Amino acid sequence: MDSVLFIEPRLVGARFEDHTIPLEFLKDFAVLEEMIVEVAKAEYMKEHPERQRSPRGFAEGVQLKLAAVEEGSAKPVIVLAIAAATLFPLHNEQTYFERARDSVIGAIHAAEHGTSVTQHLPERVLGYFDRMGRSLRQDEAMEFSVPGSESPARLTKETRKKLVLASSKLNELTEETEVRGTIPEADQQNMTFQLQTPSGRRIPAPIAPEHMEAILEAFNGYCDRALVHIQGIGRFSRTERLLRFDTLEQVTMLDPLDVTARAEELRQLKPGWLDGGGATPPPEGLDWVVQLFAETYPEDLPLPYIYPTASGDVQAEWSVGDVEISLLLELETHAGRWHRVRIAEGTEDGRELNLDAESDRRWVADQVRSEWSL
Amino acid sequence: MGCRPGQERVVSLTSDTLLHRQISPAWTQRGHVTSQAFKPTSKDERRLSVYDGDQVSAEESWKHFTEELGLTSAGVLAVSVEECESLGLDAEQDPEPFLSHAVILFGGLSNSQVETKAKILKRNAVARGWLYKEDPADADQEE
Repeated sequence: MDSVLFIEPRLVGARFEDHTIPLEFLKDFAVLEEMIVEVAKAEYMKEHPERQRSPRGFAEGVQLKLAAVEEGSAKPVIVLAIAAATLFPLHNEQTYFERARDSVIGAIHAAEHGTSVTQHLPERVLGYFDRMGRSLRQDEAMEFSVPGSESPARLTKETRKKLVLASSKLNELTEETEVRGTIPEADQQNMTFQLQTPSGRRIPAPIAPEHMEAILEAFNGYCDRALVHIQGIGRFSRTERLLRFDTLEQVTMLDPLDVTARAEELRQLKPGWLDGGGATPPPEGLDWVVQLFAETYPEDLPLPYIYPTASGDVQAEWSVGDVEISLLLELETHAGRWHRVRIAEGTEDGRELNLDAESDRRWVADQVRSEWSL
Repeated sequence: MGCRPGQERVVSLTSDTLLHRQISPAWTQRGHVTSQAFKPTSKDERRLSVYDGDQVSAEESWKHFTEELGLTSAGVLAVSVEECESLGLDAEQDPEPFLSHAVILFGGLSNSQVETKAKILKRNAVARGWLYKEDPADADQEE
């Protein structure tokens, strides 16, 4: 079997900085191979307009293989491996595959620069981008060298979306996504369920056997608002509305007071939510609250109840025994105002905090821990 | 009871009078209620609006609040006048907006004192339980 260097995309992003590639990316490369084969067939047909279809056995014995991963930030080395006994002489097959590669890269470059994608690839092939690059996260890119250009073609979440939606036949796009919600409905005969989001929308999803137990637990706990975290492949409309889940990867039961889920509920507030007044908490402020509890609040401590304030901030509250605690979180300044009442003793204490300071965050955790350990 | 909130006869509050407080849906989480629900906001000028429970039932007050005033309420909690007085808070009728309107007065207190009294009022109200709930299933989650 002969092998020639075929393509060396550069993966850019925090996940690739240690010069490794997450296994989930292998799916994307498998799709790249499918697409290259399909485009190579189209290239062959362009040269042979007299034929109705590509020759039987075209691309048999031809494979793209991951030969190595080089540094910078992670650079998979993909070779074109062609078995000696293929239908065509080596140089012919190689030519079609290389043209296909250049067309795919040309289409990515075009999408990035807002020029016509279909000058490079036929519309019917664009659907492959629904799966290729799907593992990319925000701030990640797959870069391809463009012959004759200093700047690479960059496949990102954004360019991928442009490529898929450049096809007039494709109105939906799949994305890896995660949603928190409740399960009000499950159909064990059809193996489907409905996930209800904090906004009240219901999103259909399939039940895989390995997730059945968790889904039924969430379904049975619906009246108690049992929360579940779903990760999987979601299908979105052109307007980025989640229509349904195609497949699920993870189903996880959540703490009833899960801060991320509560933040999602607070994002649904409309101005005037409090008797006609009431400012809405800013989204970036809620992101900070989520981060605050996810990254710095000890997992073994009880989560607080979280409420919006009339001024558009957030207040966390804990009740234990005869102790009532509130922690006002000012979303713009990251200041905190701690207030605790011991009702039986009739005493109170308060403290102003800077929640960007680790010492103050630790102080809050220590105080909560001291109440729970009494 | 039986009178609509705008039509009641006005009589004085007694120590046993329950003061009905409408609870914003956003101020509940899994059946729990924030102490903010018993603290006047900055626009309230240290006067917390309630309904006089001697004049209207909790359900009537909820209907008046949501249907006639067009505001949102997840349900009704209440504290008694006696509970307010034990915290040094006066309560009085305030029939200007509508006849069954009353207020709990937080004037002359520091912010910290207001916070403390709001927390204790909330405790008392929660201990009494929901007097009316828009979605009864939520009330079952009270822990």
